[in-house]
Amino acid sequence: MQLQDKHRIAILSAYALALHGFESLLPTPIPWLKLGLANIITLVALVLYGFRTALMVTLIRVVLASIFIGTFLGPAFILSTGGGLASVVAMGLSIKYFNKVFGTVGLSLIGALFHNIAQLSLAYYFFIQRIEAVLIISPVILLIGSLTGIVNGIISDILIKNLLKKDTGKLQNVLHKIT
Amino acid sequence: MKETIRNTTLADRLLFLFLVSLSVAGIFLARDALSQGSDVIIEVDGKPAYTLPLNVSRLLSVDGPYGPTVVEIEGGKVRVKETHCRNQICVREGWVSRGVIVCLPNKLVIMVGGGNKRQEQGIDAITG
Repeated sequence: MQLQDKHRIAILSAYALALHGFESLLPTPIPWLKLGLANIITLVALVLYGFRTALMVTLIRVVLASIFIGTFLGPAFILSTGGGLASVVAMGLSIKYFNKVFGTVGLSLIGALFHNIAQLSLAYYFFIQRIEAVLIISPVILLIGSLTGIVNGIISDILIKNLLKKDTGKLQNVLHKIT
Repeated sequence: MKETIRNTTLADRLLFLFLVSLSVAGIFLARDALSQGSDVIIEVDGKPAYTLPLNVSRLLSVDGPYGPTVVEIEGGKVRVKETHCRNQICVREGWVSRGVIVCLPNKLVIMVGGGNKRQEQGIDAITG
C-alpha cells in the first residue's frame, strides 16, 4: 500500500467517522432508524478509489465510532460491523460484475439493502430470536432503507462528480462509467 | 440534483420501484399474518384460564364473584358482552382488537396479542 493510499484512507475515514458520530447524535423517532450518512463516504471511496480503500474506510469507521460512542464489542457494534461489511461487499461486487448496469444511486440502494439484510439477520440470530418480530419489522426497515438509500445515492453522485471535476489528474482507479 | 436524477440508469429505477413495492406489500402481509396469529388470553383471579385464537368466533362464559361474565370473540375482536357487576366498565369498552379489557369486580383480565410479552424480558431495540 502506497503512502498516498494511506493518506487517502485516513482522510476518508475521518469524514466517515464525523458523519457517523453526527448521525448518532440526531434524535430519531424510532431507535433503529438511521440515515446511513457514513455510507456516502463508503460509496465515494468505492467508486473513486476501489474496493480495498472502501473496505478499510468502513472497518476503521465502524471500530473507531463504536469506541467513541461507547458501544465497542456490544450488540450495536456487532450490528454496525455486519451491516457495514455486507454493504461494502455488496456494492463492490455490483461494481465488479454489473459495471454499467447500476449508477451511483443504484449502488447506494444495493448498499442500503444489504446493510439492512445483514443487520436483520444478525439481530435475529443473536438478539431477538423471534421470527415474527423480524418479519413485521423488516418491510418497514426496507422501505426506510430504500428512501435513505436514494437520498444518500444522490448526495454521493453529486460529491463524486464534483470531486472528479476538481482534480481529475490526481484521481486514480476512476471507473470509466462515471465520466 | 436534477441532473443526477435524470442520469440514473433504468436498473436504478427498477431496483427502487421493486424495493418500495416489495416493502409496502410486506408491511400489509406482515400485518395480516400478525392479526391471524393473535390469541386471546383470559385470566381469572390472576391465573391464566383460557387461551383462544382471535380469528375463531366464540361465545364464552367465565364465572366470577358476581356470576357469569359472557365474553364474545368475533372477526378478530373481543368484547365483554354481558356481566353482572355494578359499573359495567368492561362492557362499555366494547370491541377490542388489541390491548386489555379488565373487569376488577370479577377479577377478570382479557388480553389480546402480546400476552407472552410479559414473560419475556428481552431486548426491546438495539441501535446500530
